[in-house]
Amino acid sequence: MENILDVQNIHTFIGQYHILQGVNVRVPKGSIVALLGRNGAGKTTTLKSILGLTPPREGRVVFNGQEVNGMRSFDIASMGIGFVPEHRAIFRDLSVEENLKIAERKKGDYLRKKDFIFDLFPDLKRLIALPGTSLSGGQQQMLAIARALVPDNQLLLIDEPSEGLAPVLIESMMAAIHELSKESTIILVEQNFLVASQLAEYYVIIEEGRSVQDGKMKDLAADKAAIHRFLGAA
Amino acid sequence: MNSFLRKNIVMLVTVLVMAVFLTAAAQGMEKKDFVITLLRGLAVGSITFLVASGFSLIFGLLDVLNLAHGTLFMIGAYMGWTVVVRPDTFVDLLTPLALIVSGFALGDVYPLLASRIRLGLSLRRLLPWALILVSILLFGFILPRYPIAIWDVENYAQSPVTFSFMADSGARLPVMPAAFTEVTMPSAFIGLLLASVIGAFGISLFDSSPRTVRLSWKNFVSIAIALIVAIAGVAFNDNLTAFLYGLSSNWLFFVAVLVATLSGVALGGVMEATLIRPLYSRPIYQLMLTLGMSAIGIEMVRAIWGRPEFVMPKPAFFNGGGEACPATNFADWWANNCSTILILDGRVRVYNEIFIPIVGLVVLISIWILLQRTRLGMIIRAGVQDSQMVEALGINVRRVFTMVFALGVGLASLGGVLAAPSMGLSNLMGESLLLNALIALAIGGLTSYPGAALGSVIVGMIQQFIIKYGQIGIAIPFTEIIFKPTPPLVPASTVMLMVIILLLLPNGLLGKKE
Repeated sequence: MENILDVQNIHTFIGQYHILQGVNVRVPKGSIVALLGRNGAGKTTTLKSILGLTPPREGRVVFNGQEVNGMRSFDIASMGIGFVPEHRAIFRDLSVEENLKIAERKKGDYLRKKDFIFDLFPDLKRLIALPGTSLSGGQQQMLAIARALVPDNQLLLIDEPSEGLAPVLIESMMAAIHELSKESTIILVEQNFLVASQLAEYYVIIEEGRSVQDGKMKDLAADKAAIHRFLGAA
Repeated sequence: MNSFLRKNIVMLVTVLVMAVFLTAAAQGMEKKDFVITLLRGLAVGSITFLVASGFSLIFGLLDVLNLAHGTLFMIGAYMGWTVVVRPDTFVDLLTPLALIVSGFALGDVYPLLASRIRLGLSLRRLLPWALILVSILLFGFILPRYPIAIWDVENYAQSPVTFSFMADSGARLPVMPAAFTEVTMPSAFIGLLLASVIGAFGISLFDSSPRTVRLSWKNFVSIAIALIVAIAGVAFNDNLTAFLYGLSSNWLFFVAVLVATLSGVALGGVMEATLIRPLYSRPIYQLMLTLGMSAIGIEMVRAIWGRPEFVMPKPAFFNGGGEACPATNFADWWANNCSTILILDGRVRVYNEIFIPIVGLVVLISIWILLQRTRLGMIIRAGVQDSQMVEALGINVRRVFTMVFALGVGLASLGGVLAAPSMGLSNLMGESLLLNALIALAIGGLTSYPGAALGSVIVGMIQQFIIKYGQIGIAIPFTEIIFKPTPPLVPASTVMLMVIILLLLPNGLLGKKE
């Protein structure tokens, strides 16, 4: 299958720290790929390196056949990558509607996608005029995902969507992500293995800044020893 | 109701304290003095606000403490003064200035050009420096030889003070048009254009990240405007000069305000693109850079305009006199354009105490609309919180940085040119105003736009009331003592207020908790 994104052996430094020391991620078009690993393994940095927010010093990032490493973040994002960061990064001084509108890349993106977004997250519709600050954690997470849906993105980078959410909310979040995967490719960083294993088709395990194992999720789910060794989860 | 109280408690208390303070102040002086002092406070507050708001926008979005902001305010004032007093100098300057800017107006084209250059690594490192050197040499050769009719700081009869005095009395010294003697006009024109393009290209090479640029006619609009201005500046030099000399003082003032503001915008844009941008990862150096820029700016003003202080002539619209003045009502004022108007028996200077606060209010509302109702404003508000996330949405935040820096410097220049006829021009006008603006921002909240307005008005009011009480004295209740605040108390009082407010509310009155 054709890869929409191909991350080849990237090395990323933050300050003098060598955070990523050789990460490879191949993302087949239309799939969900989960990045797994313990805290501090480099999953978030991998997402940020793809977008050029922490530019990799070595290696290549190929998106849709074009090498994007070294390009500026806004140029990379404009090629069709949406980012849902850890801790959501909702703009506090903007209303919910403005938080969506700011993500427009072409005029009218928001009007075009509005119905789709509110079908997916009906809660957001009634919150539309409220300031970003007044949302609960779950609502902020929905808004952060919705924001990434406003422009036509081919690839979504979603970082820890279930973090800090109540179990009920996690389920609706998973339903939404599953729905999205019909439209676009998704890279998912997820601590909660149960969530990741139900959503993703493929996985990449990152350990101490290196991608150490990848493959089909259903193979990993069957391999209890590997799960325990890499993720510390049962 | 309860939640409204809780949310706006600081605002309500502030308004209450100000009301008590003003009522107390009103008891101790005549009604006319009170009105005048109040309006003067508003006027000083408005000018402070123009500087403080730009400073706070820049700090909020770019995290740059622009210590040169006061100097840029001063440069705005001197620019405006030059347009009013020596229109011929201004017309002569149009062409070289437009040419210097023109190279930077081509910013989006350079990455494309850079991607075509195939060089070894060491040559690639050397290239920008070589280009900048060539550019500086070209500028250094042509600019001193470029003919500009200008005053002579050393010769009193031809000095800025004399020109200012003559313009104030409505007369003009005969001027000698400057002519191209040492360089020919076409070679100077092409040389400056080349120097600018080479320099701007060299600077753009420091940023080595590859970019996808889709060229369209829009990339060439700004350079086209710059070139049209440059060509008009030489081709119609005499006509333009004659036209400006023929303008009424009102229109000339309007042109001066426009020119000062726009040159502030251009100066800010070029300053951000060339000096500030390379240092975003090193904020301490940025701080030192702006401090150095401030010192350099002051020395440049000293070298060009000299040290004596002068006042820009007021436009005739606010400068009428005669039998019917001071006007007692608005209709009278409108008919006679009196320089003063009687409000509650107090003689109020229309330009200083009414026009400036009105402009301040108009700017306050316009920027508020820009921030709240436009896409650019939305990006600015979001970027103040998290510029990296804004960039991750696919928005060119750096371009917004440049625009905000240009806007902020433009506001400071506008403040400068507006203050020139009321506060007058001096080499140190920027420093004292920057201090006022910083105190106003600390009081109001560093990155809060309404806070900048509130803080500026508070600072202006307190200073003016203390100045007034320095003249009439405060009768201390139950004693015979009359206390007259001394001049040093004027700046000290605002600093004291700042300390008190920062102890109670570390983020200022309207600042948000970080």
